[in-house]
Amino acid sequence: MSTAPATVDGPLITADGIPLKESLQKSLRRSKIRAVLLVAPPLLFLIFLFIIPIGNMLTRSVDDKLINEVFPNTFEAFEAWDKVSEPSEEMFAAVYQDLKAASKTEIGKSSVRMNYAKPGWRSLIKVTARKIKKMEPPYKEAFLKAEGRWADTEFWLSLGIMKDKRTMGYYLNAVDRTYDFDKNVIHVDENRKVYNLLWWRTIQVSIIVTLACLLLAYPVSYLLATLPMRIANLLMICVLMPFWTSLLVRIVAWMIMLQQNGVVNDTLVAAGILSDENRLAMMYNFNGTVIVMTQILLPFMILPIFSVMKTIPPSYMKAAQNLGATPTLAFIRVYMPQTIPGIGAGCILVFIVAIGYYITPELVGGKDGRLIGNMVAYHMQRSLNWGLAAAMGTILLIVILVLYWIYDKIIGIDNMKMG
Amino acid sequence: MKITLKQTLLASVVAVTTAAQAEVNVVSWGGAYTASQQKAYQETYKDPDSINFINYNGGLGEVRTQVESGNVTWDIVDVLPSEARVGCDEGLFEELDRSAFKPAADGTSMDDDIMVEVPNDCVVPQIFWSYVPFYQEGTFSGAQPTTIADFFNVKKFPGKRGIHTWPNALIEMALLADGVAIKDVYKVMSTDAGIDRAFEMLDKIKDHSVFWSSGAKPLELVQSGEVAMSLAYNGRIGAAVLSEGAKFVTVWDGQVLEEEWLVMVKGAPNRDEAMDFLIHASTPESQAGQAKFINYGPMRASAFEIMKAGEPWFHNGKNIMEHMPNRPEVMARSVIANPDWWADYGDSISERYTAWMGQ
Repeated sequence: MSTAPATVDGPLITADGIPLKESLQKSLRRSKIRAVLLVAPPLLFLIFLFIIPIGNMLTRSVDDKLINEVFPNTFEAFEAWDKVSEPSEEMFAAVYQDLKAASKTEIGKSSVRMNYAKPGWRSLIKVTARKIKKMEPPYKEAFLKAEGRWADTEFWLSLGIMKDKRTMGYYLNAVDRTYDFDKNVIHVDENRKVYNLLWWRTIQVSIIVTLACLLLAYPVSYLLATLPMRIANLLMICVLMPFWTSLLVRIVAWMIMLQQNGVVNDTLVAAGILSDENRLAMMYNFNGTVIVMTQILLPFMILPIFSVMKTIPPSYMKAAQNLGATPTLAFIRVYMPQTIPGIGAGCILVFIVAIGYYITPELVGGKDGRLIGNMVAYHMQRSLNWGLAAAMGTILLIVILVLYWIYDKIIGIDNMKMG
Repeated sequence: MKITLKQTLLASVVAVTTAAQAEVNVVSWGGAYTASQQKAYQETYKDPDSINFINYNGGLGEVRTQVESGNVTWDIVDVLPSEARVGCDEGLFEELDRSAFKPAADGTSMDDDIMVEVPNDCVVPQIFWSYVPFYQEGTFSGAQPTTIADFFNVKKFPGKRGIHTWPNALIEMALLADGVAIKDVYKVMSTDAGIDRAFEMLDKIKDHSVFWSSGAKPLELVQSGEVAMSLAYNGRIGAAVLSEGAKFVTVWDGQVLEEEWLVMVKGAPNRDEAMDFLIHASTPESQAGQAKFINYGPMRASAFEIMKAGEPWFHNGKNIMEHMPNRPEVMARSVIANPDWWADYGDSISERYTAWMGQ
């Protein structure tokens, strides 16, 4: 690609006698090192607080190594079994070997994993492991004496679900499916279906909240952008005050307002609009979640739209009207299209925050206002099923990436303005 | 002036850092419960300043994160029965030398003095607490609710019911209300038909239910009249009655008793000091002392004797025994929760319960 004129003899030399190429490279390298050093802190920050944890989450969602490492003999004996006849002495001997060799912690951790495949494994392994020291061959007899449930072939069959070091089980669980004992994907029992409903509801709430925020934020932003500075500043403080207020304080304030015996219901009843029995249920349900989330996320919509509106010169509207457009037409055809980058940024921002929300639904969601984020928190903190939490987190991540991609295709990410 | 300011700042920095070094972090549930532990254990401890209480919302998520990342900052955690078992099985807690703990006055070892079977060597006795129904005086005219069946009967006792967002205790209560004998509860629960039966009972109150997830909520719900009756932690009701003079009535029938244990996190930064504090917190005297400030039942039988002999035992001169969840009179009509059953079936029941709530 060299367009430099060809030289007569050898490379170009700089004033101090070093070939130009080398000198250039040297200064380039220096500035490169400086650039890397400048970027290093945020880069390390990203790697340690973002990329590694996400990678870790992705691995956890498919990892099934532990159980295969703790019970190698058992799985070998399981593979040799015809899955029809009664479990043989060799199979019990294999479990014995594995339990004997494993540490207490390993047994504890794997029994938890086995319990996901079939409820009951946990206590079965625990009780057996406690008696393992005193056991003598024949092991089949000894095991059955320790715990009668070893005769239940379902426990043995369920090993088939866990025999691989990678599993899609957590992802299946996250969408109300599971493996049968032959590792075919099947639906879970009708009365245990939880997650699909929650996924659907999460998306529903996020869309409603985003639209509600947009509807409320647009006129507010317009006012902020067009009113005289003094009043606009005052309004801006009104927008930002709740933004700076503690989340919990705002949620509790809404509870006081909206609950069955709350301010709104009391006022309506006192005014005779509602009868005492027909008080509105606005809290501890779907409505509560939507109302409170809309209020909390509103600033995320107002600020980007406002910042975009601020840059639109008022002269455009005047010009449009000068050319014969009615004020409405001018607004729709000239003003609104220019605010799209702000709308896009606000919508994406609100939607992404909403889809992973869990504090608000936890407090005001009641029975039908809880979202998938609550399940992730539940599995992280309570049930300790981190594999399932990781799978749900990964699915959320994918949903967001897909949305981002669609947004880029339709509106173009370069068009987005965060302010 | 400048120098004094500098010196003060320096001194406070030094004070903070030295205090941080020696501090044993004890993690508990906050509110009146932590306050009772502070009064009974911390203030009576030889070095109260070395103990630092932290609040948490339960669950072993944080403990597991600390242990797995090797960055342990918590020393002692106050845990629920299922967590006491799972955490010890998974190696998240230290196994403790049982002989170090103080025996009862008559020489009974601590483990034999505890009213339930000790599940493993990680746990140190704390208290019994229970899920129990209650209502506000004057809510019902005429007959008053007296049994767990009344809680599930919205025809006889109209009004909303407050129940929690997880299935523990509710399954047991539903079966009791349906007439299952106390000793058979877990036998029935171990069958699919038994679980179906429990959910059919729950269906009866579902449309009248308000769900709560934090311990203070049921009191608000009942106080404000949002619900007519609610399940709650017995200590919350007792605290409101004993300390604030609330007019709550507890229905002492079909309560579900749960254990509460103290454990030491694996790799606790102040192992020896934490052990010393655990020994102090688990003596019969400390255990009885805690009941001066909250009506949760001590786990050690000998602590109960101290309280009985010392009535009125509550710190403001009221009798405490009638608020104890594990006093003999109500034990006959109580289910002692079976954490091993819940460890096995808890996940699948939770899914079903969550599905049921959302339907």
